[in-house]
Amino acid sequence: MTALEYTTAAEPYGPTPATANLAEILERILDKGIVIAGDIKIDLLDIELLTIRLRLFVSSVETAKLAGIDWWETDPALSSRAAEHALTRENQQLRERLAELETRGERPPRRRSRTGDPEGGDAG
Amino acid sequence: MTAAQQLPALAAPATGTTVTCVFAILGGDGPAAPAAGPEGGHEGGGALRLLPLAARLRALVQDVPAADFTEDALRRRLADPARLEVCARAHHAVVTAAAAGGPVVPLPLATLFTDDRRAVAALDARRQQFLAALELVTGRAEWALKVSAGRPEASAAPAAGHPSPVPAGGQGAAYLARVRGQERDRTARQEAALRAARHAHDTAAAFAVSSVRRRPHGTEVTGRDRHQVLNAAYLVDDARAAELASAVRALAGTYRDLGLHVELSGPWVPYSFTGQTAGEGE
Repeated sequence: MTALEYTTAAEPYGPTPATANLAEILERILDKGIVIAGDIKIDLLDIELLTIRLRLFVSSVETAKLAGIDWWETDPALSSRAAEHALTRENQQLRERLAELETRGERPPRRRSRTGDPEGGDAG
Repeated sequence: MTAAQQLPALAAPATGTTVTCVFAILGGDGPAAPAAGPEGGHEGGGALRLLPLAARLRALVQDVPAADFTEDALRRRLADPARLEVCARAHHAVVTAAAAGGPVVPLPLATLFTDDRRAVAALDARRQQFLAALELVTGRAEWALKVSAGRPEASAAPAAGHPSPVPAGGQGAAYLARVRGQERDRTARQEAALRAARHAHDTAAAFAVSSVRRRPHGTEVTGRDRHQVLNAAYLVDDARAAELASAVRALAGTYRDLGLHVELSGPWVPYSFTGQTAGEGE
């Protein structure tokens, strides 16, 4: 297969199947196109090939997790959910730290309690 | 379609019996002989040949040893990565060679019938779908576009090298600022990668008559330090393939600075687009 990346131009029709990426071939020839129920059933493909396919594709969040492909969830650079988790965690850490500082009487300068602090907020 | 399987065929041990393996459906105007030559196809099988169907269609078929293509044998073979690869490449090679002679409708790996008669009956029943698919793919090919992101550590190291000046607020405020900075970096990288994936897809889709987005490949394929953010295929008029290629080249140049890698491959036989003509989608 001609991998163009960004160096070569389009070539005439004539891919070289021997060099094509196996994952790319598999995702095309396993269950794409017009599927016809043949005499020899290979619905088994869905089950038996799962082990292989799990290693090749991020098939869904659940299966990916089962297969240990969990970067989608845990890599903050790519997962908004993970980013949210990170935010929540950091928020919590910040709150704890603030609370600790406040109980020690080391109030940051110019700080006024702005968010639902039960005993504050009546500055006038 | 299961009638043949219920026959007591097992009583007679296979003495050189074969089953019919169908690779693809060809239109009526292509070459009279299989383009792959008689030697292609699955191991142990006979010569590739064309089986006439209704509506001037032809099926590209091969007689393969029945014993090697039972459910059990297939299950064992296809669950073994090395043998799966042999099978997959053999199938792909036959289909690709056939496509050089004219439009084809590829069938999935190991579409098998007990004999020609049953194959013809089953295939003829789908002829409207084949005709529609052939019309759709004539003069067009499938192109694959992938965008992947490097690991964040590699592309954007956290700004730990230079100690940030301690703001007037003291340590607490510094901590706050640092945490916010890291979060901003992360969010920015994530948004940039996803935005780039969307943009790349839109760019390519503008040249295509149809497109599909697939599941990204896992790191088993891409390597641990790359995360695929786009895995898509496009059905493109042959006349526009060069335009697509140069548009993708331009994209790749733009994205390099973001640590994103862009890869276009093709032309592929339009595997991903022949199943859509019956209105039942992917």
